[in-house]
Amino acid sequence: MSIAKGPVAPGNAGSPACSRQENGTGRRQIMLKVVDLYKSFGGIQALAGVSFTVEKQSITGLIGPNGSGKSTCFNVISGFYSKDGGEVYFEGQKIGNLKPFEIARGGIGRTFQIAEAPEKMTVVENLLLAPKDQTGEKIFNVFFKGTKIKQETGEFLKKIDEVLNLVQLNHLRNEYAGNLSGGQRKLLSLARILLFDPDLILLDEPTAGVNPTLINDLVEAIQRLRDERGKTILLVEHNMRVISRICDKVIVLDSGIKIAEGTPKEIQNNEKVLEAYLSGSSKKQLFHEDTGS
Amino acid sequence: MAFVNFLVYLAIMMGIYGILSLSLNLQYGFTGLANFGQVGFFCLGAYITTIITLTFGLPFILGLIISMVVAGLFGYVIAIPTADLKEDYWAIVTLASAEIVRMFFLNEDWVVGGGVYRGGAFGVGGIPQPLKSYFSAQSYPFFYFMIVLICLIATYLIINKLTRSPYGIVLKSIREGEDRLAQAMGKDVKRFRLKTMAVGGMFGGLAGCLWAHYYGFISPRQFLPLETFIVWAMVIVGGKGNNKGAILGAVIIIIFYHSTRYLKDYIPVEEVTLASLRMVAIGILIVLVMLFMKEGIIKEKKPVY
Repeated sequence: MSIAKGPVAPGNAGSPACSRQENGTGRRQIMLKVVDLYKSFGGIQALAGVSFTVEKQSITGLIGPNGSGKSTCFNVISGFYSKDGGEVYFEGQKIGNLKPFEIARGGIGRTFQIAEAPEKMTVVENLLLAPKDQTGEKIFNVFFKGTKIKQETGEFLKKIDEVLNLVQLNHLRNEYAGNLSGGQRKLLSLARILLFDPDLILLDEPTAGVNPTLINDLVEAIQRLRDERGKTILLVEHNMRVISRICDKVIVLDSGIKIAEGTPKEIQNNEKVLEAYLSGSSKKQLFHEDTGS
Repeated sequence: MAFVNFLVYLAIMMGIYGILSLSLNLQYGFTGLANFGQVGFFCLGAYITTIITLTFGLPFILGLIISMVVAGLFGYVIAIPTADLKEDYWAIVTLASAEIVRMFFLNEDWVVGGGVYRGGAFGVGGIPQPLKSYFSAQSYPFFYFMIVLICLIATYLIINKLTRSPYGIVLKSIREGEDRLAQAMGKDVKRFRLKTMAVGGMFGGLAGCLWAHYYGFISPRQFLPLETFIVWAMVIVGGKGNNKGAILGAVIIIIFYHSTRYLKDYIPVEEVTLASLRMVAIGILIVLVMLFMKEGIIKEKKPVY
């Protein structure tokens, strides 16, 4: 795993779009395709026909005011909510009716808005949960393939060290996750998803509650995931500086409908977005507000 | 000698309940499955081994294995409709399923071979004790204690190994994460729950089998829901999520439960009243533990990597 350390190409941080790699045909392949998605909760129409695509090796931002359907959209894609209508395609395959764990195994990993942090599991235990298809997950193997399990765990622990250094949680490795702060839990869930290593990563507000200096590191790490490891990322984020800095494409939802789509620049100048999203406050404030304060 | 016999009896009870407590600890302490029907597995194990050894005349070891298998299967099956439900529904379903097992053996007297005043509410006697003929009546309990001890140690080692493995980490995440986390990490939570109920059920069955062969007589009255709560008390007092704690809990609760027998010499209360006071004593113990040692006497061990 090379995400933890290693230089970031200078200039990457400023204009990530330049660093995208295109495939042979010059066109970018579509990794995730959401078609006409509907989902309602009682009388509330959380998603009212949302369609969009996420291209391979890109970072796509999903933004919108509170209650616009971003998290619902994540939950439907990852299978935690069943959809009322529409379909989700991942690498050309219909995944709309699969169970969450099947979707996860298929290559879509996610974090949660309110970071899941098992109270009585240490940070390292949390991360040991992440690797897929571990030998020791089967009862039979626990008793008959002890050496292989030990060896695997050893390898996982090495990777865990790397990731913990990245998110700066190494000093808390044997602390119960329940004792971590909100921001640290966010970092832990990011670390977990890095170890889980899916092709498409859904990040639900990865920088909320994280201190500004660390946000920069996280942004760089997310960019490296795309540039060096070819991952595709879809993220919900309220921090517009982060969005405009790293997203190749931004999708804007409002009241369950997609109201705009485009590069961060295009979105910034889109009247519809400003109207829905800002509800009165100035555009300048939104896109240039300071991250931490 | 009478006192020594009593101690051996206590030790055997501690061993059998220790196995039940370890099994519940795997389900509740590590996986968060609120199994309120532990006595169902216990009952099933006792009856299955009775049928195998008494009705069919097969050896004890077969009774032991088959009762474990059947109780394990039963655990798996009752978990199928409930695996996706929340904790409180588990409690209801498991409680009911244990009662179903008891009611079945209460009403279907043919399963133990029938006969006058036999089966059903009359219970079944004459359950053979393994290798009895090689020992004197005095020394046999010591031998039986060795069998129970070996079973307890094996149960401890197996469950301990499981809970410390990657499998155990998934179980803990199911306990802590309300399913979401484990699912997002690609774990088939339902399967893990089914398997855990099956493994827990197996050891519940083992305890039932040991019980039946020790007493030589079983009846549905021995398997009332109250037994389940005694096992819960063991897990809570000893320390949930800690296997040593589960055994310690069994030891303590058994001592409390049987201490009333000797208390009558010291306290001027009628024996009948004292007998009912034992549950009060256990209740007070639980309250004290919850107040001053919320996680039980031995806390869950924090693994250090």
